[in-house]
Amino acid sequence: MIAGAQPNGPANAALRSLLPVLAVLVLIALVPLLSPSNRFLSLAISAGINVIALYGLSVLFGQTGILSMGHAALVGVGAYTAAILSRDYGIGFWLALPAAALASAVFAMIVGIPSLRVGGHHFVIMTFAFGQLLAIVLTNGGDYTGAATGLDLTGPVTLFGADMSDLTRYYLMVVAFVAAAAVASWAIINSPYGRTLRAIRENERLAASLGINVGRHKIGAFVVSGVFAGISGVLLAHFLGHISPTQFASFPSIYLALMVMIGGARLISGPLAGGILVAFLPEVLNLDPVQSRIVYGACLIAVILLLPEGLIAGAVQAFRRLLARKPKQEREDPDTTCTTPSEARR
Amino acid sequence: MSPILEIRGLSKQFGGVTALSGVDLAIEEGEILGVVGPNGSGKTTLFNVVTGVHKPSGGSVSFRGHDITGLAPHAISRAGIGYTFQQAMAFAGLCVLENVQIAGEHVRVNAGAGQPWSTPQALLDFVGLAALADERAGVLPFGSLRLLGLALALATQPALLLLDEPAAGLNDRETAALVGLVRQLPGHGITVCVIDHDMKLMQMLCRRLAVLDFGSKIADGPTGAVLADPKVLEVYLGGDL
Repeated sequence: MIAGAQPNGPANAALRSLLPVLAVLVLIALVPLLSPSNRFLSLAISAGINVIALYGLSVLFGQTGILSMGHAALVGVGAYTAAILSRDYGIGFWLALPAAALASAVFAMIVGIPSLRVGGHHFVIMTFAFGQLLAIVLTNGGDYTGAATGLDLTGPVTLFGADMSDLTRYYLMVVAFVAAAAVASWAIINSPYGRTLRAIRENERLAASLGINVGRHKIGAFVVSGVFAGISGVLLAHFLGHISPTQFASFPSIYLALMVMIGGARLISGPLAGGILVAFLPEVLNLDPVQSRIVYGACLIAVILLLPEGLIAGAVQAFRRLLARKPKQEREDPDTTCTTPSEARR
Repeated sequence: MSPILEIRGLSKQFGGVTALSGVDLAIEEGEILGVVGPNGSGKTTLFNVVTGVHKPSGGSVSFRGHDITGLAPHAISRAGIGYTFQQAMAFAGLCVLENVQIAGEHVRVNAGAGQPWSTPQALLDFVGLAALADERAGVLPFGSLRLLGLALALATQPALLLLDEPAAGLNDRETAALVGLVRQLPGHGITVCVIDHDMKLMQMLCRRLAVLDFGSKIADGPTGAVLADPKVLEVYLGGDL
């Protein structure tokens, strides 16, 4: 049997893709020791909340091959669910999590239904419209959604009796959530379910001929992405203490799609890299909002043209090529070989 | 013995064009049946209607006594009918082994109890692709891609395998290898139906042939007799023989 002859089993290769991400997250969790500024912490918390949503988007886009420009709307459903539950029923952070995940999953399912009939660019436009539609509904929702002003959240987030509203504590909690999201996304990618999604991405007709219910699994991928978005929304609502419709309209959705493309949608490290990069780039380069939009646009075009699999995959490939050139030992071209699953090794 | 697949009065219209008109065809358990006919005679449409890609305009298809008319493609596959496409295809971005793993993960009925490939590796061994297990399917040479397509269909553990021009684009050596594989299938409990217009291939593979012309069946019987049928000769060679 061939399996025994492989020195590194597939599980081993898969685990190697997760460890760097967890190692980076441990380092990130140590940052408060350097007593960073409140501004840095706030920015990092926002980035982390985005990354959680991005891990959901990466399952949809990276694995299933469906691009959604309405992902921020699903984050919004989660955020508004948290705000309304808190206002009307006094339900706090922890109970809002499953409720918002469920609400966002249901909305994700609705967004996903047209994908059964429409594909490609046409579907992207429909998801875009969904984001805009949600913003309109929220703006015209009267007192229930707080109209254009939005909703306030009161009530502290507590964990085992400790008040988590303190910036450093909230930061650590978000890092923990990011780690959980990364592990969940990793588990999906490396499960038979992840394989099924990739089969749909590669060839729907062939997938159906092999007994895969393509429609059901597409909707399933939307639901999974919705769960991540809902949780991200609760964290966002309780972090900001105030939410309004424009935060979840089409432009934030485009930013999320941009982040996942820049980082690389198929890799477990992609969402983390994309989320951090896009959040901190204007800070590092000292750009104003208009300049940063120009830079994002340029980055997106550059990534699509030069590194279609994202920055991380591009960097890893460049690194491999460099390694292959220096020592004379024969290395296989990373483009032609793969292990199981094929994305895990990069 | 009752047929494994029974097609009754199957017809299909695309707008005003009749692709199939009232085709009756029975595939017997354990045989390798060939369906031949000139281009545009309705061979691929017949496959597409049976496998659920198109809904039939009329008629019925039953598999092992169960009506499967108009079921979705994935449901047809799960019922125990495997099929390959005229265009050789695989999941190009995934490696060969992963391709076969996917194909084996959505099996409902274990139809092929006598099949010698219990693992994806064993199946790759059977079709001769074991050495390429870690390659990305997108970089395979065409002949290997055809074999991978066959392996994918076999991984669904079908009781009936439909092959649409399985040798198209293959050289003689590759065709011979494919014929060798397909001939073994009935011995493993897999009934085979092949579509092709390559008569040499059909003579190698099939003891029985059915001939389609303009969406109707014009002949059905032992290969030798069908090939001697004046109607068939007329369709293939333009008559006057």
